[in-house]
Amino acid sequence: MAQAALPKSSLTVTSAPFWHCGRTLKGMMTDTLIALTPAMAMAVYQYGYHAVEVLAWAGLAAVLAEALAQKIMAREYTADDYTALVGGLLFAFMLPATTPGWLVCIGSALTILLGRMVFGGYGMSPVCAPAVGWCVMTISWPDLIDINGMLLNWDLVHPLSELKYFGLEAVAGLSLPSLMLGQNLGALGAEQSLMLLLGGAYLIARKQLRWYIPVSFLLGVFLTAQLYHLIDPQRYAPPLFHLFTGGTMLAAFFLMPYPSASPVWRTAMLLYGLFGGAVLIIIRTYGIYPDGMAFAVLLANMFTPLFDLIQPKPFGGR
Amino acid sequence: MMKPQLHTSVEIKDTLREAPLPSLVRIPIEPLHKPVVKKKQLVSCGQVIAENPAKGPHGTGYVHATIDGMVEDILPQAIVIGPPPAPKEGEEPPVFERPEPMADIDTYKGEALCRLLLELGIDTGKFRPSRTLVINGLNPEPGVIVSELLLKEAKPILERGVELLERAIRPATVYLVVAEDKKTSLYSCTVVTSTDRYPHTIDPLVVHKATGAERPDDVDVISISDLYRVGRVGQTKLPLVEAIVTVGDGVYRVATGMPVRELLDATDTPHGKGWQVALDGPMRGEPLCDLSVGVPENCTAITVVQEGLFPQVGPNPCFNCGECVLACPAGIQPGMLSRFVEFDLVEETRSRHIAACLDCGMCAYVCPANRPMLQYLRLAKQQLAAKDAQLAECRLSD
Repeated sequence: MAQAALPKSSLTVTSAPFWHCGRTLKGMMTDTLIALTPAMAMAVYQYGYHAVEVLAWAGLAAVLAEALAQKIMAREYTADDYTALVGGLLFAFMLPATTPGWLVCIGSALTILLGRMVFGGYGMSPVCAPAVGWCVMTISWPDLIDINGMLLNWDLVHPLSELKYFGLEAVAGLSLPSLMLGQNLGALGAEQSLMLLLGGAYLIARKQLRWYIPVSFLLGVFLTAQLYHLIDPQRYAPPLFHLFTGGTMLAAFFLMPYPSASPVWRTAMLLYGLFGGAVLIIIRTYGIYPDGMAFAVLLANMFTPLFDLIQPKPFGGR
Repeated sequence: MMKPQLHTSVEIKDTLREAPLPSLVRIPIEPLHKPVVKKKQLVSCGQVIAENPAKGPHGTGYVHATIDGMVEDILPQAIVIGPPPAPKEGEEPPVFERPEPMADIDTYKGEALCRLLLELGIDTGKFRPSRTLVINGLNPEPGVIVSELLLKEAKPILERGVELLERAIRPATVYLVVAEDKKTSLYSCTVVTSTDRYPHTIDPLVVHKATGAERPDDVDVISISDLYRVGRVGQTKLPLVEAIVTVGDGVYRVATGMPVRELLDATDTPHGKGWQVALDGPMRGEPLCDLSVGVPENCTAITVVQEGLFPQVGPNPCFNCGECVLACPAGIQPGMLSRFVEFDLVEETRSRHIAACLDCGMCAYVCPANRPMLQYLRLAKQQLAAKDAQLAECRLSD
């Protein structure tokens, strides 16, 4: 009855505003995947099938872990917005290419479960999920994701370990282009500095990422490293070395700006980036890990609520 | 997917077009209006059909018939006027006596002029005496080109409006805010240029631009459409019976109360299944579920948007990206506020400055999660206002 009474040319009624800038979560994640592609290609070029295997296991385990958690939580499945896939791939980027498959799966699942689902889902966690996954792995199976130990088959050196254990002379021979192109030992994706920089630039150009956090983070790394370098040029590496080794670029463009774990106001974002960059160099200088990138990210995440207290005055308020 | 433009200023090439006179109108009325006509009564264009019972000089204007015809129905929100009945054989067709022009309008001043304007259908609630008056000459929203077209095409009427207003409320200063590339002036106004990018075209931000104060108490702001209505009454010396409405690329003079469907048909604008239609602009407009609604006199545009052009809004969770915070001209956190509303913690939004919200809709425009942000914020403001009203009532009855 009621249906028959409806006029034939019924309207679609939504609420204002009727326009939208067109950005969606899925679009952001698709662009992130595109931004990660050059680094993935370089990783595959360097480590061959090993890299493919690690990336594939990580992506699969992340998507399945998310689906499982959503089934238990009686939520809608959201695998089609690619957030889990991106989370898993970012986690894989921090592993050595020969990590055993079972470990990749556990780590990737923990990235999603501990880094995200326990807080309620994507965008609700106060910490960067891939960094959480990597920290759990590093503490639980330090030998199996140790970059030097797992990549003995390659006759190359890991720049940050060399710097930590053998001093500045050990890395003096490494040229900047070789660091940028990831031609040294390192985590499979994080070491591809130039490709990650390109990917980050693509995200900023597509307006999927604001420049505040990446630029201030890189500036923080540069300034802190420069400060140490000025104190003792014989002991501390120059800033460009730190910018293009380890996970600096991965942290700058993909981990530090993790949406829910970073501040939202402009000033707060700039301070957060500078702080994260400084913490990264301090951990690299004094910490027990050669590259404490994920720890630096998590530590900066913990300070996000504090930075977010720096707010502008609301319009017309006092 | 279309990427919409937020710049509102356009080069005006067109002139003001005339929409055909409808045979039936639904003239919107406010709850405070008291209808003064009966069903089946013959009314002529310009005749008062509903009064504002308040006696003061400042308030909502009277409502007038906009066509000659017969009152078909009196509803709480509208008075329907249809065509007069066909005369029976041998009978004279009905004669409609239009009201006489108010020839002595120029002898009125001050509150008497305000009262006269009110009786001629102008909403004089915005015109309070001895204040700074800001005329917002920017197009209100992207795609709504009424203001700039009127500034170019109807300057004598606008100047007549300024003259009448100066006589009615004697403002200390009159500012006219226009887009940067528009070289225009109006009578004795001080011209201020501003960016034409939405949301900088909305009233509180325009006042801030003109006077440098955020939400000052002693400044009134009116739009070019408001000014045009005053000028039009001053020019014709007759009651206000028309609205100036943007439809598509054109701006039309429309009889108040013309059904939206008829206006869309007359301007060859697509509508129907798969189209969303709204009164006013695309950012703050009021969605329509019924196209027989009449065009209100303060309507600036009919917005028509094809379904599927933009991502669909839904009850999606916020993922804290912070885009709304950066887009918000009021400097508040719409994402956080919307979550308080979502989880029924409306009271919490008070301390987080929901009162600063300017209702511009930018948060929903940029939201990548496609949340109905503006609705959440409006809901919160409405619930808080209702609570306050209840509290005030309790205190009064004590």
